[in-house]
Amino acid sequence: MKGFTPLVLGILATLAFSWLGLAYIPDLQIGHLDPQSDEEGTDIYPMPKSGMAERGRRVYIANGCFYCHSEQLRPDYAASDIERTRDAAPSSPPKWGDRRSAPRDYIFDRPALLGKTRMGPDLANIGKAAPAEEEAAPAQPSPAPPAAPAASPPASNASPPPANAGAQQNAKPAAQPSPQTPAAVPPAANASASPANVAAQQGAKPGAQPPAPPASAASPPQTTAAPSLTASPSDSPAAYSAAWHHQHLYAPRSLNLDSDMPAYKFLYEKRRVGGEQSADAIKLRGEGAPGEGWEIVPTYDAKCLVAYLMSLNQSHPLNEVKSAAAPPAASPAAAKPAAK
Amino acid sequence: MNPTEIPLKSPGSVTDLSIGEVEQVERALIDASTRVPVLMFYASAIVWLLLGTLLAGFTSFKLHSPDLLSNVAVLTWGRIRPAHLNVMLYGWASMVGMGTAIWLMARLCRTTLRHPLVLVTGGAFWNLGVLLGVIGILAGDSTGYHWLEFPSYAAVVLFVAYSIIASWVVLMFRFRRGDPIYITQWYLLAAFLWFPWMYLAAQTMLFIVPVQGVLQAAVNWWYANNLLFLWFGSLALGTAYYMIPKVIGRPVYSYHLAAIGFWTYAFFASWTGMQRLVDGPFPAWMITASIAATILCIIPVATVGLNHHMTMRGYFPLMRYSPTLRFTVFGAMSYTAFSLLGVVISLRSFARYLQFSEVSSAYSHLGLYAFFSMIMFGAMYYIVPRLVGREWRFASLIKIHFWASVYGIGLMTLMLIAGGMVQGLNMDNPTLPFTESTQSVLPYLRGRSLSGILMTVAHFVFAYHFLLMLLGLGRTASVPTFLNPVNPEPGEMVAH
Repeated sequence: MKGFTPLVLGILATLAFSWLGLAYIPDLQIGHLDPQSDEEGTDIYPMPKSGMAERGRRVYIANGCFYCHSEQLRPDYAASDIERTRDAAPSSPPKWGDRRSAPRDYIFDRPALLGKTRMGPDLANIGKAAPAEEEAAPAQPSPAPPAAPAASPPASNASPPPANAGAQQNAKPAAQPSPQTPAAVPPAANASASPANVAAQQGAKPGAQPPAPPASAASPPQTTAAPSLTASPSDSPAAYSAAWHHQHLYAPRSLNLDSDMPAYKFLYEKRRVGGEQSADAIKLRGEGAPGEGWEIVPTYDAKCLVAYLMSLNQSHPLNEVKSAAAPPAASPAAAKPAAK
Repeated sequence: MNPTEIPLKSPGSVTDLSIGEVEQVERALIDASTRVPVLMFYASAIVWLLLGTLLAGFTSFKLHSPDLLSNVAVLTWGRIRPAHLNVMLYGWASMVGMGTAIWLMARLCRTTLRHPLVLVTGGAFWNLGVLLGVIGILAGDSTGYHWLEFPSYAAVVLFVAYSIIASWVVLMFRFRRGDPIYITQWYLLAAFLWFPWMYLAAQTMLFIVPVQGVLQAAVNWWYANNLLFLWFGSLALGTAYYMIPKVIGRPVYSYHLAAIGFWTYAFFASWTGMQRLVDGPFPAWMITASIAATILCIIPVATVGLNHHMTMRGYFPLMRYSPTLRFTVFGAMSYTAFSLLGVVISLRSFARYLQFSEVSSAYSHLGLYAFFSMIMFGAMYYIVPRLVGREWRFASLIKIHFWASVYGIGLMTLMLIAGGMVQGLNMDNPTLPFTESTQSVLPYLRGRSLSGILMTVAHFVFAYHFLLMLLGLGRTASVPTFLNPVNPEPGEMVAH
């Protein structure tokens, strides 16, 4: 080696080069993406998550969920990610997703939890796997919980199901500087009512159609699946509903004997039933049931975590990505080039 | 070759073969000046190693027995795992690497270490940073970035500590005597200049002025792979370039090859970050560039491997006697295995199956343990006797350490690769339920837990041996501790 100065300069230059190539230039290329919207500036995707879901992200990180669960789907030519279906729903199970993940899906994520290993299934679309119309789920025998009506009076589209209480509540403590609209709509950027339900995950469907029948537009299998899901045996809550997530977090193997997930009992509270049983109490039967006069209820962290899970949804079409199961031509957003 | 000729303690620097009494005294003075800080770094590293090993075993068992102690938040798998990882990265590996680097720097710059207490202060702060970080992770303060889970209050302490340590090491260059800069010094200097830059760049782009969305993951893996290659890898390669020629008493085969190896390493290894995100939501060129860089890393692997091999040629039988050589050569060979596995898992056709499987865990362990840690163990077997003035007490303990480590990491790698392949194939078959892939890897994970027991034994044995040395209970002898008797039966004599 000739001397000290060239050595140091070379050392610094090599790392500078790699930083330039793998951090700086990509930042110029994809570091300043905006949400996409259609020509009228509606149907905006993605949207920031509610405050509750963002807090749920911290719970998700704190307990290291992202070490086992990825949040990215690879394209169809690279892997069979988007052909895969979820285990839990026996009849017409939801798919992992309809399209690959793209940088735009993550623009509000901080951090973007892409994940590295899959000891558990991918969660990029776990929110979409929830029964489309949860209120239709008779698996929830209990009357509508007190919380739900408070959080969301009849919303623009699907009305709040009991099981969705956690997600619906998102709207309430949402940190966004918006007026509290009565609908479960987190606010701000959206000009139209229908796609706005990022929190509830009902609205992230294409199409600025009038609210009434919207959920069916993009995912026919989904909607048709819902009723059959409810027919699923026994007392388990409808697969991937908020109640299901709570039971799954509390006692994974009560829902899937093959699950390798640790239980997160510390996110739940066991307490005496005072008067009537709480609406969000986990309805565990058999082994692990809390016993007469006791109930297991989620802590606020657990509710946030479930709100976060319910908010994970990349099903909205992106102009730069082709969807495997392209929605029928009826979907206007897919047909139109979006503003950005 | 007669093993008694092993010039383990004989003077004679690699750069300058002229030997004299003066130099011997001078070297003793240099060693003495580094005694307190280097032993302090080593002792801290070993404490972290033991803690990290216990956490590792816990992580490993919990992965196939999820109900084990899962009801306490602090002990949940998702907190123990990053705690283990970060203790190993910043507690064990960085501490032992920096300790070795301090000693090597002083030796190679032929300068006594001035004000060693500054380094002790730096080391103390570093320990504090790691401790804060681990407590933070267990308390649920993890940042959510791989290999950077330490919360920012710990990161700040770490960075301050690092600045103290690094400036002291780099300052030694100012006082160096003898101008030809030896290969080891390139690597060490590079490591000490790269680390603060990548750490600061990652902290800035992730926390201070965060980049958008998926770029966080890109910066994250850019950092993580650079930490693995440019920080740990450089420290280990630099150490190997010192230890191998030193132990066998023969200069490095080719400076020219070494220079090629160094610059191609710096150039290509720094580009490999996106290899961990094959076909993720990124522009394809980023991933392709990293795959190409990973493949091109074969060039430094081949040149370094060839150089070591040619240096060692004819001297391989010495591995029978010298613990340092045995560990170092094993580590250097693992560098090749590690790099080849890196190429395999980053190729798109393999990544399809292996990307999200346990094979990536095998890859990290090959790099950090089989390559880096084994070389560092070798360096400690060489350096510690020179600092405490005693020789290692029991050859048998060194042998147990070596074989338990080798079988441990070997079994672990096999289990994770085989299990990961089964897991990955099942995962890519959409007709199987997903749990099929996790269920199919569980037997292998149990096997991995067994390998962890072996490594735990190795580490505790080593720690005990090191403690004996610290307490001055080593052997007082003029010859180093050989792994096997130096005058074996004639039949056992290795022909040369």
